[in-house]
Amino acid sequence: MGFEPKIIAFCCNWCSYAAADLAGTSRIQYPHNVRIIRVMCSGMVHPELVLDALSHGADGVMVIGCHLGECHYQDGNHKALARSDMITELLDDMGYENERYSISWVSSSEPDRLARAFTNMTERIRKMGPVDLQNPAGQ
Amino acid sequence: MAVRAVLEWLNSCSGCEIAILNIGEALIPLVSEHLDIVHAPILMDHKCLGQCGEGSEIEIPEADIGIVSGGVANTEHLEVLLAMREKCRLLIALGTCATHGGIPALMNGQGLGEGIKGVFATSGTDPCSVPDVGVPAALDRVYACDEKVRIDLFLPGCPPNPALIAEVLTAVAQGRDPVQPGKSVCDTCQVLREGKGAVSKVRRFLVNADYNAEEPVQRMRCLLEQGFMCMGPVTAAGCAAAGLPPSCIRVGVPCRGCFGPVRRDGNQMLDMMNALASNGIDFKSVVDRRSLLRFSGAHGLLRQIRTRPVRERG
Amino acid sequence: MGKVIQISPITRIEGHAKIAIHLDDRGDVRDTFLHITSLRGFEKFVEGRPAEEIPRIVTRICGICPWMHHLAASKAVDAAFGVTPPPAGSLLREICQLLAHISDKILHFFFLAAPDFVLGPDADYSVRNVMGIVKAAPDLAARIVKMRQLGQMMLERFAGRAIHPVAGVVGGFSRPMLEQERQELLRDAGTLLDFSCYALDFAKDTVFAKYMDVFQEMGTITTGFLGTVDRTSGALRLYDGRQRLMKADGSCTNFEGDSYTDHIGEHVEAWSFGKMPYAKSWQEGFSLDPAAPAGIYRANTLARINVCDGISTPRAQAALEEFRMAFGRPAQQTILYHYARLIELIYVCERVMELLQRPEVTDTRIRAEAGPKAGRGVGIVEAPRGTLIHDYTTDRNGCITKANLIVGTTHNIAPMHMSVKQAATSLIRGGVYDQGILNRIEMAVRAYDP
Ligand code: SF4
Ligand code: SF4
Ligand code: SF4
Ligand code: FES
Repeated sequence: MGFEPKIIAFCCNWCSYAAADLAGTSRIQYPHNVRIIRVMCSGMVHPELVLDALSHGADGVMVIGCHLGECHYQDGNHKALARSDMITELLDDMGYENERYSISWVSSSEPDRLARAFTNMTERIRKMGPVDLQNPAGQ
Repeated sequence: MAVRAVLEWLNSCSGCEIAILNIGEALIPLVSEHLDIVHAPILMDHKCLGQCGEGSEIEIPEADIGIVSGGVANTEHLEVLLAMREKCRLLIALGTCATHGGIPALMNGQGLGEGIKGVFATSGTDPCSVPDVGVPAALDRVYACDEKVRIDLFLPGCPPNPALIAEVLTAVAQGRDPVQPGKSVCDTCQVLREGKGAVSKVRRFLVNADYNAEEPVQRMRCLLEQGFMCMGPVTAAGCAAAGLPPSCIRVGVPCRGCFGPVRRDGNQMLDMMNALASNGIDFKSVVDRRSLLRFSGAHGLLRQIRTRPVRERG
Repeated sequence: MGKVIQISPITRIEGHAKIAIHLDDRGDVRDTFLHITSLRGFEKFVEGRPAEEIPRIVTRICGICPWMHHLAASKAVDAAFGVTPPPAGSLLREICQLLAHISDKILHFFFLAAPDFVLGPDADYSVRNVMGIVKAAPDLAARIVKMRQLGQMMLERFAGRAIHPVAGVVGGFSRPMLEQERQELLRDAGTLLDFSCYALDFAKDTVFAKYMDVFQEMGTITTGFLGTVDRTSGALRLYDGRQRLMKADGSCTNFEGDSYTDHIGEHVEAWSFGKMPYAKSWQEGFSLDPAAPAGIYRANTLARINVCDGISTPRAQAALEEFRMAFGRPAQQTILYHYARLIELIYVCERVMELLQRPEVTDTRIRAEAGPKAGRGVGIVEAPRGTLIHDYTTDRNGCITKANLIVGTTHNIAPMHMSVKQAATSLIRGGVYDQGILNRIEMAVRAYDP
């Protein structure tokens, strides 16, 4: 025990953030480790934000958007998905384990699905331990 | 009144100094009227350890401006840089090595110490150990100057554009702020752009671009749109001579990013990969993407990749 | 233990080096060291990179002669990928190499070395530099600045960049030469040829007549020489040819570039990051003792002028004949590097004019298509500072797996070290020395143009 990961979740305004709201009002529990940042669309999350979060103390980063086909800006989440593969690969280049990043889809009516995603990620990062900034890839 | 200037070079190639000389005839009034150069190893004989070699600590004369090229890779570079900071009112980092690590920071991708060992173990070299007598010890990696001291003005480029160097020196001598470009290489590139087109992969530069040298470059199709990796979108403008296209594009060769990122703390690899991915171009078609950081691997961006440890579960 | 004099850094050279002179209790020289203090590791960090990118990475080995690294690497990658550039592609590369030699020689002789001769080795350090020449001889200064700039601008106009070029590409060149450009370059090369003839006359009057003695009293070293010559005529060549290794007695062996490892070894001393190449094929080992050197040869201008059977252009050939009459073959005095440099300056101007008049120079077939391949390629050109060797091995994807580089300057590290020792030993006695004497010791290094 002892290590409490910090996780940043970028949630899109229209689906996943709405789901988070609903989770609150329906008193669905999710780990306090997750800090939500609301963005208009998952397609807006520049990879730099992911890296910035990690280099400024986050232990994991999530991007959560609408289900594919349901993005309120048409193809924002497809963009996010295309980038996501790239981010996963680049994290290794930058010296971070790529498991510290995840992308998932949640509709506004699926608060429990969101809570599950948060819980899973928190457990995963808890096992990985904190980012070692001196030597991010571990040795 | 001429301003007192000192020049030093650290982990550098002297191209930055040659770029200063390439200011050309305008250099003569600059050095004879505006600048009073009191220390510059490439041009004059002021020594760091005393004129008769009796000193024991690096000594740089007091100056209004200091111009330093090259990154910081060993203890001697660091000492010189610290002495420069102490003695110069205004410290200018000249060239991409000084501002972002430059090509030598590629070493950070495999670890400076490891790399140096490798250099002395090439097959043509007689068996030996790494020299360590009377030569400075390596740091753990190659640093940009601003990672070690405060830098007042950044003048990137590998080498920097002589016209911009002249502008900065004149501005400083006149006590005003220099005018520096703030856009990307693409913003200064006059080639024909037709929109995204059908590019789904980027190609290696193994055949020449499609263009007719007799025609103005405005008739050449953008190299990225021709399918070549071109780093113009993620690279700071500045290399183009007045009125001309960026200097590589002008001869039909794609940009490799030698002026560093557009925003000083940007990440050229990330930005380029993002640009490709967001435009539906298969980012896996980039061979050796880490070399997109070939000019800006300092600031911890290029790191040694090691096989990942198997972590304990539970 | 006596004291140590540190000349740190050596100034008016390209690169990072210092001299340490160790004196004994009587104040005589016990030992000297030429420490090369910089090391960037190109041989290692090019590993894994796509080979076609290498010619535009290794330029950063040296900002004074980036064209040399650019072209040696281009030739090596051609060989690794098994492509041969079309004739115009090779011609354009060689023209650029020659233009780069022009600026370099003017820079070295007039900007870096000449202050010792124009202002004198004992002039105060604050004026003994090119700014001092601007004040003392403004007309000369204006002319040299203009001529060096002209060479740089010719390169920039035609090839886009003078420093850290990109126009040499695997398989040839990235752009053809237009007729109008050809005419302009020819005109400007004519101007530079006039200047180079003037430069040699100037140096004969102001340098060699006066300073032969100064160099004489610093002592001499006797070594072999390495250069590149035409495969058939044995004439001086800079872009292509075979290598010739000459012993101090004048006897020669020729070899093709890709067998260089049979002839040249690289020795390392604990006090210098610069590797010291030596003539392995002489089978006499390696020794830096000026009295009994082993394996030591020199490269760069004097070496090339010594090993060649002649020069293919008329004015340079005439200058060579005069030179050989006066100093024999091989000539050993270090100051003659400057003389040989100016003969070469005439040659490169003449040669560039000759090449610009070849009909195929404006041909638009300039690049052969290359494909990534596993292979090995050795590319050699004569850089201003000596025979430059790039050796790359590639994998199936055409990425570098192994690299070995022998940079022009490094051939001369061992000889420079010996020249420094000679100079220091004969100039410093009983602990007596001053700034002028220390500068004379540096002049021994500057002649090599490191
Ligand atoms: S920035 Fe480029 S030109 Fe300047 S020292 Fe570095 S490699 Fe050389
Ligand atoms: S050719 Fe390169 S620099 Fe020019 S617009 Fe296209 S991508 Fe940008
Ligand atoms: S085009 Fe790119 S690589 Fe070429 S000089 Fe300009 S910034 Fe540097
Ligand atoms: S709006 Fe939800 S992903 Fe685009």
